[in-house]
Amino acid sequence: MSTAIAAKGKSLWSDAWIRLKRDRYAMLSLAIVIFYSILAIATKLEWVASPWDRVVGGAYAPPSFDKIELWGGTDIFGRSVLYKVIQGTRIAMSVGLVSSLISVPIGVTFGAIAGYFGGWVDDVVVWFYTTLSSIPSFMLLIAITYALGKGLTSIYIALSVVAWVGLARVIRGEFIKHKTRDYVVAAESLGASHFSKIFKHIFPNVSHFVIINLSMQFMSAIKAEVILSFLGLGVQGQPSWGVMIDDAKLELARGVWWQLAGATIAMFFVVLAFNILGDALRDALDPKIK
Amino acid sequence: MLTPMFQKLITTGVACLVLVSLVAGCTSKKKDPPNTVHLSISAKLKGLDPVNADDMYSGIQSSHAYEGLLQYHYLKRPYVLTPNLAESMPEVSADGKTLTIKIKKGVLFQDDPCFKATGGKGREFEASDIVYSWKRLADPKLTSSGWWVFDGKIVGLNEWHDESAKAGTSDYAKPVEGLKILDRYTLQVKLTQRSAQILYALAMPFTFVVPHEGPEMYGQEYINHAVGTGAFKLQEYDPNSKVVWVRNPTYRKELFPSEGEAKDKESGLLEDAGKPLPLTDKLVYQILVESQPAWLSFLAGKLDLSPIPKDNYSQAIGSNKQLNPELAAKGIKFAKEPQLDITHTSFNMTDPLVGKNKLLRQALSIGYDDVQYIETFYNGQALAAQGPIPPGITGYDLAFKNSYRVYDVAKAKDLLAKAGFPEGKGLPPLEYITLADSTSRQSTEYMQKMMSAIGVQLKVSTYSWPEFQASVKNKKGQMWSFAWGADYPDAENFLQLFYGKNGSPGPNDSNYLNPEFDKLYEKALLLQDSPERTAIYQQMVKIVVEDCPWIFGSHRLNMALTYPWLKNFKYHEFDHAKAKYYRVDPLLKK
Repeated sequence: MSTAIAAKGKSLWSDAWIRLKRDRYAMLSLAIVIFYSILAIATKLEWVASPWDRVVGGAYAPPSFDKIELWGGTDIFGRSVLYKVIQGTRIAMSVGLVSSLISVPIGVTFGAIAGYFGGWVDDVVVWFYTTLSSIPSFMLLIAITYALGKGLTSIYIALSVVAWVGLARVIRGEFIKHKTRDYVVAAESLGASHFSKIFKHIFPNVSHFVIINLSMQFMSAIKAEVILSFLGLGVQGQPSWGVMIDDAKLELARGVWWQLAGATIAMFFVVLAFNILGDALRDALDPKIK
Repeated sequence: MLTPMFQKLITTGVACLVLVSLVAGCTSKKKDPPNTVHLSISAKLKGLDPVNADDMYSGIQSSHAYEGLLQYHYLKRPYVLTPNLAESMPEVSADGKTLTIKIKKGVLFQDDPCFKATGGKGREFEASDIVYSWKRLADPKLTSSGWWVFDGKIVGLNEWHDESAKAGTSDYAKPVEGLKILDRYTLQVKLTQRSAQILYALAMPFTFVVPHEGPEMYGQEYINHAVGTGAFKLQEYDPNSKVVWVRNPTYRKELFPSEGEAKDKESGLLEDAGKPLPLTDKLVYQILVESQPAWLSFLAGKLDLSPIPKDNYSQAIGSNKQLNPELAAKGIKFAKEPQLDITHTSFNMTDPLVGKNKLLRQALSIGYDDVQYIETFYNGQALAAQGPIPPGITGYDLAFKNSYRVYDVAKAKDLLAKAGFPEGKGLPPLEYITLADSTSRQSTEYMQKMMSAIGVQLKVSTYSWPEFQASVKNKKGQMWSFAWGADYPDAENFLQLFYGKNGSPGPNDSNYLNPEFDKLYEKALLLQDSPERTAIYQQMVKIVVEDCPWIFGSHRLNMALTYPWLKNFKYHEFDHAKAKYYRVDPLLKK
């Protein structure tokens, strides 16, 4: 007797997860990202590396294993470099997170309406983001931080303003592709509104691009924060990897290498992890590469 | 994606750029004569107009093109004034109120297109040029930061200033009673009262001589030009990166001094005695805001002279306080001299919060540890200041101790509570304005650390040097750090920083105003150097210290390294045009 075994359909997400799990580097990267995130949260809650501005030794004490604070040596004022590196994680991750939270909705909305409606709406949006992206992004970042005053808030806003363009482009392209597909036409004939078609029907089918983009966005935001802080346009009075590298510019003459090492190692791993993870996510989530 | 056409365009563009820069690089290298002096400045420039040369950087630059009636002897110590554009030292009348100044004949302004009548050839300098230049200092439209040197001192000049301000335009043709041209080469200056400092003023860049043709032709752009009688002519000017000066071919006959201090002869400073100045054909100033590039350029032999940045101190100077053997082997010389200066953090006295709350200012002053700052930022090579007057100037009192400069966190917190902000509660973050380079950021961090230890938060804004100065002049911000170097060897130069009438845009940057202080200041102005005047100076110091418009910082040491091929370097506190005495020996520089 034969029974029809209804093969249980796998969703895009669970399918992607299975494929992602097979990629060892991706999983390692994910673990690193999770580790940094936990570290950032723990720092925010003052569980670790707090207070960072306490004097733990003499000025420019080299790394030693006597005390955990001294593992990374000390800076010009005798503060723990290890603590500063950990606190820098908080700043870097928060910049990535906040700028993504602002730029993703902007990118999705603009990309969706441009792709979906086409015509003059599309023209306006495309003109707008092309103009924006024609300005070298660092010039724009610097201009915005000058206009808004220096500090973390300005960095959040500046990065968000710059970052949504890439996502909007991708989403627009996908919407153009999807809007004539059968399921959308079917929804339309059942009387679905524009809003419902955009967000209920099409968006779930292109949302994996947001995840891929998010991972890349995080990475570039972290890099941008470091560069802006290095240029003196970033965070003020808080530990940032960029500020530490700026310090190193002077200190290396004294043979003090530990701030540079601490900041670059911390930055290297998180940027690398986000990069690998981003690639792996694209491979896993893009149905065409199956 | 780029289209092929675009790619081609870009490739061509890049190729062109590379070519242009190569050509430019080659030509500029080719042009440098072997005796070129290479120096650096650590701040961007705001302009070359002498009437606004209130900072050391623009003062030095404008002094290459412009000259004053007097100058300081390059070698003699203590510092003495000698005639420069003046034929001889001014004759002072018995009552001290009239100066008769004879000027040198045959002195030419540098050739410049602004001299239209002569087809670009510089004309002869005459007494009327001095009157014109000093009126510029009083011109309200130019908002000179140096007006204070003549404010209230020359008969009729204040009236001219006030009338110009009222009318909205300045009438340079209108005579000023106190500035009388006796003949083409003689000027008579009438002072409102006897002044002990007036002669020093004649050697300050503010009073340097500008021909009227220059400002008339260039207008507001004049800050980017330099037309004077000086030893050097401007060749290239980029206020953000480079200034190049070349020998002024029409410079008058001015000779290297033939006498100096006793030790000058053995140190070879008199070898060029009697030779015509300038000794070099070209002066190249690189603007290097960050200390490390400047230091590395010096080590590479691209700069002839360098200060020692704080992070390179141990690299340069050994524990025996002598130059490290590695540098000594290159023949590099090390000179260390106490500077007549004071670093300080100003409070904005016009600010409704910090300006009106003396206890708050005193609390912040006590809560700031300068001893540790000197150790961290000056490698211990400075003296913690107790008041505005540095050692080496009459009026400095070694025994005087400022009770608000004894670092004491508990006492600072106590005063803060008395000021109405227990533990800093209720006190908004104070706006602290500072410079954008790395060392300034570190020193700002130090300030933040000190302040947060007593419960005070700072809101930091960073600027470039010209922007920073503009912000201070516009009374923005509540606190900022500054240094003042003496313009002349008289304590009055430091005390005038607190004189009410010298408020912004003048040198009283904190806009401190205390009638009692002003009265004493005005009284001291009439006195010559005497125990009586010194006593008044010390009384004024006590008033300022109690009112605390500044957190007094330190008096620094000037530390300079020079390569053996740079000849005739001698530390000079006031002479901004000293590069005209420098000589490079091309044989030693190989």
